[in-house]
Amino acid sequence: MTAVVLLESDLLRRALLEAVLVGALCGLVGVHVVLRRLPFFTLALSHAALPGVVLASLAGVSLFLGSLASSLVLVAAVATLGSARRLDTSTATGVALAGAFALGVLLQSAQPGSSRDLTAFLVGSIVTVERADVLLTAVVGVAVAAVLAALHKELVLGAFDRDHAAALGYRPLVLDIVVLAMVALTVATSIRAVGTILVVALLVTPPLAARLWVDRVVPMMAVGAGVGALSGVIGMTASAEWRVAAGGAIALAATAALVASAVAVAIPRQAGRRQTSAGPGAVLSQ
Amino acid sequence: MRGFLLDPFRFGYMQRALIEVVLLGVLAGTCSVYVLLRRSAFASDVLTHTIFPGVVLAFLVGQPLFLGALVFGLLSAVVLSVATRALGADDDVVLGVMLGSFFSVGVVIVSRTTGYANDLTALLFGRVLAVDRAEIVVTAVVTMTVVGTLALLHKELVLRAFDPVGVEALGYRPVLLDLALNVMVALVVVAAVKAVGTVLVIALLITPAAAARMVCQRLGPMFAVSCAVAVVCGWLGLAVSYDVSINHGVRAASGASIVVVLTAAFVLLAALGAAARALAARSSPPVTTPA
Repeated sequence: MTAVVLLESDLLRRALLEAVLVGALCGLVGVHVVLRRLPFFTLALSHAALPGVVLASLAGVSLFLGSLASSLVLVAAVATLGSARRLDTSTATGVALAGAFALGVLLQSAQPGSSRDLTAFLVGSIVTVERADVLLTAVVGVAVAAVLAALHKELVLGAFDRDHAAALGYRPLVLDIVVLAMVALTVATSIRAVGTILVVALLVTPPLAARLWVDRVVPMMAVGAGVGALSGVIGMTASAEWRVAAGGAIALAATAALVASAVAVAIPRQAGRRQTSAGPGAVLSQ
Repeated sequence: MRGFLLDPFRFGYMQRALIEVVLLGVLAGTCSVYVLLRRSAFASDVLTHTIFPGVVLAFLVGQPLFLGALVFGLLSAVVLSVATRALGADDDVVLGVMLGSFFSVGVVIVSRTTGYANDLTALLFGRVLAVDRAEIVVTAVVTMTVVGTLALLHKELVLRAFDPVGVEALGYRPVLLDLALNVMVALVVVAAVKAVGTVLVIALLITPAAAARMVCQRLGPMFAVSCAVAVVCGWLGLAVSYDVSINHGVRAASGASIVVVLTAAFVLLAALGAAARALAARSSPPVTTPA
């Protein structure tokens, strides 16, 4: 019923399309975030986008470019702090995250009407996306997917075995930078729709749900993208039905998919265990 | 300079803000050292977000924010340990999922209420200038409780941080020690929610100790420097925000000003520490160790 209502309005149709695109893109890229254990770093990337967004809106340039640029400054800051070896990476990430975000809040507080914009940045505002935003998401999605496909073998090797990758003549650092750049691109495109905090949920939850069903990386990406897109549809529907924030609803839909997957995978396993414990002879005779 | 540091505090609301910030400085300065030792920056950040729905619910039903935050702090500590076991995934990934799902519950609930953006902003970024007497008392009680508990558990927490195997061999339960630290972090978030909000409190939980670490080797001085940095930056941040807003006509959010000053202090101490080490290395050439 509500899905039909969603399709009737031009505004909501666009929002639904954006939710599906963002969900699929995050589900795809998120596999690398999970493989490389980057959730905290991704959170920092998305928070660090704020000063860039504020400055870009002041200067009248693209918000997307602003957030991308300031995310890259954060990458450099964390790399510098981490290389000093007096702080562990997570502390360095935390310091940079908090500092960059506070700088953004401070810059933002000087503008009139700041609290609404700030809220939109944090939790997204998908119903206000425009045709150009959807187009940008689609273009970035295709570009990111193309890069991930072209370098798939190398990127996965870099995630699992850096030494081996280096021995084969690849530069692990370059591979890291490629992954981080793809994550930063994804974050910069998704913030408009789901906001800075929930984008991390969308990057981590669908791949984790996918990992419960499949073991290999490529199927995980496919299932992850599917779960992400489905979360977009369910979240938008729930948001229209119960009049709740769309970004929150999409992230919760992804969590529901994860919980449902965990239960669905656990039940046959439990049943199987019960069967084998009931008839140990069957196992022995094999 | 003196006027800059003292003038803003002629007003009652600025005095209350200053007392609150000084208390929080001692509280966060102490707690952040343990967060640094345990390398649990991400877990602490996740706690600040998972507490958010508790704060929202308490706010809606008119209960003290403290209660809601405490309930959700404990709940998320338990969910974290159960989920890590059940999913067999890395801690960080589970933390990411928890952060997103708890936080979105809060967002969804707030979005059902009227005055959505306004309430959300107050909970996320705090309003230190609106702190009242009762809230200062709560912060003072929380500070004494947390600092007292951490002092009692100091030996165990430090051992847990440096030697997780040894602490278990001695008969302690690492899970309980982690839970204790997480509850203390949750209490800091609760105390700081009014002043700096749930998003910026992470700076108080990480940056003071990180700044102290840049110039200290030993634990004792680290506590002192960490608390001093947090208190001084709180004061400076309030003064800067007042000065910029009143004398220069540019509004500057007080919570964010405090955190930006704190981050600047971190950068300054990092530079000082690096310079001091470079000087020390030059004046005493490295001892050559026999092969």
